[in-house]
Amino acid sequence: MVDLIALGVFSLIIILMAAYGYRISAKTAEDYMLGGRTIGLVVMFFFVLFAISSSWTFYGFPGHLYLHGPGYVFFIWGSVAGFAALYMFLGPRLWALAKINRFLSPVEALAERYESKALRVILAVTMLAFIVPYVGVQPLGVGRGFEALTGLPLWVGATYTAVLLVILVILGGMRIVAWVNIFLGTVYVTALLGSLFWVIAVVFPDGGVVQAAQQILANQPENLSTPGPLGTYSSVLVIGTFVVGLLAFTWPHVVIGAMTARDKTLFKWFPLLIFIFGGLFFYIIPYVWGSVVAPAVMPGVTDVAEADRIVQTIIQTVLPRWFGVFVLMGVIAAAVSTAAVQLMTSSIIVARDVIQGVFKPDANDAEITLWARLSVIAIVVLSLSVTVVVSLGLGDEAMALYLTDVSVPGFAQWGPALVGGLLWKRGTRQGAIAATLTGTIWLVLGLLITNDAGQRILLLDLHPVILTLFLNTVVYIVVSLLTEKPSEEIEDVFFTEVDDYLRSER
Amino acid sequence: MREMLEHTPGRIYLLVLLISIVLMAVLVFMGITDAPADGEPLLVFGWMEMPLVVGVVFVIVWLIAYLIYFIKYWPYR
Repeated sequence: MVDLIALGVFSLIIILMAAYGYRISAKTAEDYMLGGRTIGLVVMFFFVLFAISSSWTFYGFPGHLYLHGPGYVFFIWGSVAGFAALYMFLGPRLWALAKINRFLSPVEALAERYESKALRVILAVTMLAFIVPYVGVQPLGVGRGFEALTGLPLWVGATYTAVLLVILVILGGMRIVAWVNIFLGTVYVTALLGSLFWVIAVVFPDGGVVQAAQQILANQPENLSTPGPLGTYSSVLVIGTFVVGLLAFTWPHVVIGAMTARDKTLFKWFPLLIFIFGGLFFYIIPYVWGSVVAPAVMPGVTDVAEADRIVQTIIQTVLPRWFGVFVLMGVIAAAVSTAAVQLMTSSIIVARDVIQGVFKPDANDAEITLWARLSVIAIVVLSLSVTVVVSLGLGDEAMALYLTDVSVPGFAQWGPALVGGLLWKRGTRQGAIAATLTGTIWLVLGLLITNDAGQRILLLDLHPVILTLFLNTVVYIVVSLLTEKPSEEIEDVFFTEVDDYLRSER
Repeated sequence: MREMLEHTPGRIYLLVLLISIVLMAVLVFMGITDAPADGEPLLVFGWMEMPLVVGVVFVIVWLIAYLIYFIKYWPYR
């Protein structure tokens, strides 16, 4: 009963913040979708960090480290570099471009850059296809947490999260999603770090984390280096994992964050927070959990789903029950903070790029906002199918690999068009369309077609992003060079004006 | 990034970032994150595995390069 009251209070805080956000919002599409472009440095940092730090950092990441050793951490090093690169290299230009031209979505910006409605549809569909299932992974994570703590079925926690998400996103819009991430992020870091310290103090009172590492060294030394206990992380895979992480700059729900910035100085200081708070602090916590503490406290787990739950299992075994409820709140916080931003991004793409971009070009502000809110409900319902699939035993439970094997390669397919559109004057519409289609179609076929040994033959049995992104990039460059260069007007609007604005804006 | 390529500090900054990635890859291929063939995995401070150490050093290199470039040479003042 106390568990439910605590979770009720937690939910109430989020709902009240969403209601407050609705009250103070300007009721315009720009305000709902981009927080009126008024997000400052600190809010932006929590917004982005916890948009990317989903329940994956509690389940999938430590679970994979537990099973395969520390090699997977190179995904984090790549991601830190990728997020910093987005805000150092692409962010200022995208922000200025969107602000000058009142663009509400990055897909819209690229469609205008390449003067192509077809590209707008292709990019919108591609992004939605890969982001919606990822939204669905978040309620699934919470469902697992509920299941482990209370014994309630998976769908209870998933539905609870879905309802919370709908209320938060529909009422609050982007501004409140960003603000709520401060609250959610604080809860999550406290739960994750607090539980780590507490477990170490209880189980390894003499030497702390050193004692844990020495225990692994004595019993399972292969857990402390690459290629790991199962021999998975060869040098090639380690660097491949780093490259996959590096592609974090293409995650649409992170890219859109750059468009909400209040001013350009945000891009000057933002990477500092990413390096120090993200790279040298936050991600180290789940790393220590999965790579050192969990294998020392509870060795011998081989099942993927059990490994995904290893941190929660240890907390429930070692610490008092009330703290388990607090940790579950942390997991909900992580899941909601990520899924809310993904939902906002998806709903913006649906409303601005699909509905207004294709079907109702003359839709006004109120209509677009309404469509965005309606699409939130539709996307949440659709994303719950992930929980249904897993509940029925039809889907894979490995969260870590869903992120790195499906979502990231999918998001990466707009990378060449995005980077080229912002930085390369010679990039053309034909190049962007041909490249995005080639990469995406190859990726989908590659994931689906396997030989008798289960190898993805179209992907040469490499990581899905490697061949597809290579093809995508080559096609983009070659087709762009073979086709007529963009008009001078496009060059003026998307390069000269942006340069002037960035150099002159105070 | 276009503006960084237009002046020398920007080009040096980008070069440092690129070299750090290449160096990290070289170290990984040389086996720095593996256990020695006839020994135990190396643990810094008794608990930090080499994949963690390599990554922390990598982030610190990016952090220092960023601080120098963005504080002294950032083109949008």
